[in-house]
Amino acid sequence: MYKIRLHEFEGPLDLLLFFLKRDELDIYDIPISKITKEFMTYLHLLEQLDLEVAGDFILMAATLMQIKVKMLLPKDIDEKGEEIDPRADLVKALLEYKRYKEMSEEMSFMESNMRKFNYRGNYEEDSKQAPNDFETLLKNITIYDLIKAFKKALMDRPAEPIHHIKKWNVSIDEQMNYLAAKLKDKNSVSFLDLMLEMRDRVRIVVTFIAMLEMVKSGTIGLRESVTLNDFFIYGINNG
Amino acid sequence: MDSIYNSVIEALIFASDDPIPPGDIVAAIKALDGSDSDITDADVEKTVDELNTRYEQNGNAFTILKIAHGFVHATKPDHAKYVGYLSTEKTKRRLSQASLETLAIVAYKQPLTKPELESIRGVNSDYTLNTLLEKNLVTISGRAETVGRPLLYVTTEEFLKYFGLRSIGDLPKPREIEEIMKDEDFIEQKRRIMMSGIEEKAEEEESQSELETDNELEPEPEDENTIE
Repeated sequence: MYKIRLHEFEGPLDLLLFFLKRDELDIYDIPISKITKEFMTYLHLLEQLDLEVAGDFILMAATLMQIKVKMLLPKDIDEKGEEIDPRADLVKALLEYKRYKEMSEEMSFMESNMRKFNYRGNYEEDSKQAPNDFETLLKNITIYDLIKAFKKALMDRPAEPIHHIKKWNVSIDEQMNYLAAKLKDKNSVSFLDLMLEMRDRVRIVVTFIAMLEMVKSGTIGLRESVTLNDFFIYGINNG
Repeated sequence: MDSIYNSVIEALIFASDDPIPPGDIVAAIKALDGSDSDITDADVEKTVDELNTRYEQNGNAFTILKIAHGFVHATKPDHAKYVGYLSTEKTKRRLSQASLETLAIVAYKQPLTKPELESIRGVNSDYTLNTLLEKNLVTISGRAETVGRPLLYVTTEEFLKYFGLRSIGDLPKPREIEEIMKDEDFIEQKRRIMMSGIEEKAEEEESQSELETDNELEPEPEDENTIE
């Protein structure tokens, strides 16, 4: 396996250009099968190295495969009656990208040149770190300013958070026993009737969960009610 | 134009933090000395050339650059090492390859939207674009009239200043696609020379002029060919 400097590639197009260049391939006649293989090898390498493969690379892999498939099929024909090369869009994208990549190299050269010029006021940023002139800052300060500052310091102190914790004296086990007791006397209970006896929202919720538990374990069953929005609970052991 | 204005123009350029446009110089002079003063932008330009010639003859450490639609004083590249030693870290950092690529596309295609940019680069460019916005090298100029009205990005005056361009028209022309294909190797060699050559050699041989450095590098492409 050859070594690849990973940071060298700015994206899938950059990587493709690298392959084309390295193998001295003709950009107008890209061997899609070969290049797809290379591309996939690189993707697998990224995966082996546990690097997160960017979506852009996966998209390109999919595009390559799509082109590969299209190459096998009879080619589409444009309005002039000429065959459309499935690779045309990719070639166009590669060339355009290459054009700007080249320009960026030109600009990098310009950058190096310009960095040797220094403008006036270049040190300004450093001077910001210098201590302020306290003499001028403390002019016209009165005792009231101090009081105000002290008060502000006191007021701005973050308040200690106080949490109220209420203990709910109801448990799922309790409510399961309660339901079992209810069903001992009767064949079935209406769910709504059962809920009417309870005032706490939490108790209703817990009872509901207890009911589901019992349905799961098969000790009770549920049956549809004639009135909508309600159902009957019946004990299975009691028949 | 009165020759006294040579010093006036020099003073105005010297006192300005950012590149000062010739129009501002003319306006200042006309405002004070009457609008019948026969000074033009071309006069200012000529004066700048004369000043630069004089600085060169006197061996001054600075020169006037014609960048970002205006004129600005700058120290010469020969002193970059010493001046750079005291300036902040921030000004020393170079742009990343991703940033340069993005800037090149924005510069040539402006105004353009993020999707247009990303379709050329083939990668998500959120981060790069934000960095460039932060550095004030690109800015938002408005919204496109297309569906979704995406934001339009353009380069700034700071961009011109950073790359030493007088206006956006001074950018080197992007080569046509056919041309690119022709001399692929030439470009690669040029890039290598730029990267290794300019960076290292120029730093090692600080005292040598740019011209000498260039000449010295000329034979390299041939060497590379023989190796390959």
